[in-house]
Amino acid sequence: MTSLTGDTDVFSTASFGASPKASVMFVATRQDDLPGIYGEAHRRAILAVLDELAAEGWTLSLRRVFDPEAPNAPRALATGFTHSHDIAGVFEAPDLESALAGTVRLEKAGWARAFRTEWLMGVKEFAPVMGKGALTDHGWSFLALWEWNDQWCEATPAERTEYDFECDIAFKGDLALGVNIAGRHRLDWSHGWHHLGAWEIDGPDTADAAIRGHEEVADFKFTTSRHIVGRLEPLAELIAPRHA
Amino acid sequence: MTQSVWIHYSRPRPHWYLLDEAQKLTLTEAWQAVRDKASAGGAQYNGRFHIRGQHDFQEVEIWKFASTTEAFEHWQALCAARYNEFFAFSNNIGLETGT
Repeated sequence: MTSLTGDTDVFSTASFGASPKASVMFVATRQDDLPGIYGEAHRRAILAVLDELAAEGWTLSLRRVFDPEAPNAPRALATGFTHSHDIAGVFEAPDLESALAGTVRLEKAGWARAFRTEWLMGVKEFAPVMGKGALTDHGWSFLALWEWNDQWCEATPAERTEYDFECDIAFKGDLALGVNIAGRHRLDWSHGWHHLGAWEIDGPDTADAAIRGHEEVADFKFTTSRHIVGRLEPLAELIAPRHA
Repeated sequence: MTQSVWIHYSRPRPHWYLLDEAQKLTLTEAWQAVRDKASAGGAQYNGRFHIRGQHDFQEVEIWKFASTTEAFEHWQALCAARYNEFFAFSNNIGLETGT
């Protein structure tokens, strides 16, 4: 039991069995500005590593977190339209050792040439939660990073529990908007951010409507957050070289 | 198993300064017990350094653990002893390159 907070109506502690227990998030910015930095051979090498990771039990597509029958072809968020970075994404890995080693394998295969990347390693805390219309392919994703602020840290356990259940009202609103929530990933042991929430959504407007609900219940009185929204696209296309 | 480095940046949160000396001592002793247990379990402690003059945080601790999971478990033990409630932090994990 490693969850930092208890279960709520929406969230329950994940029981994993054979499913992945760790997660790897990345936020990456293209840097292959000149010919010769990153080419097709590097791209093929990265895709070969991704194939190996899939064979080793990684989940490379958010869709598959909610639907085990969905293909495991890697997908990531195209974020350049509204962020300073170009792509972001979340994979799930069998354990922390393979998660960290996997990032190194990808970097060495050529990822380090193509991107400047922030990698975030997580531990899965809560089970995925299905919203209304859960099994449709939503096409977009919303990633929420947050840290509990000094006020949360100063609050009593009872005040924190009360806050969790206030936030639950907003999370129920998210589910009503058709959002699927991939549990909660704990990042604090290896990063400045404490948690990641990864959602499937049908577009940026849904993220905006959902966050308004979180503002109404004063979610952000206890947190500092960073939100990322992007369209889900095949990673093989997102890592195509800029120069032949 | 490749060795992992675990780098821990910290600074007291504002309400840490509101505790009396006895409360602070109880907490710091509990946290030191967690560190001692990690060392007894084979973790290598490389010291704590003051960095506030050139950083957002006040101190940095550098540890080596036999595995990534051991680093996580050390942090989890500190959190169970309420360390994260009284100290702001930023952690980092890395794999030894062997070069």
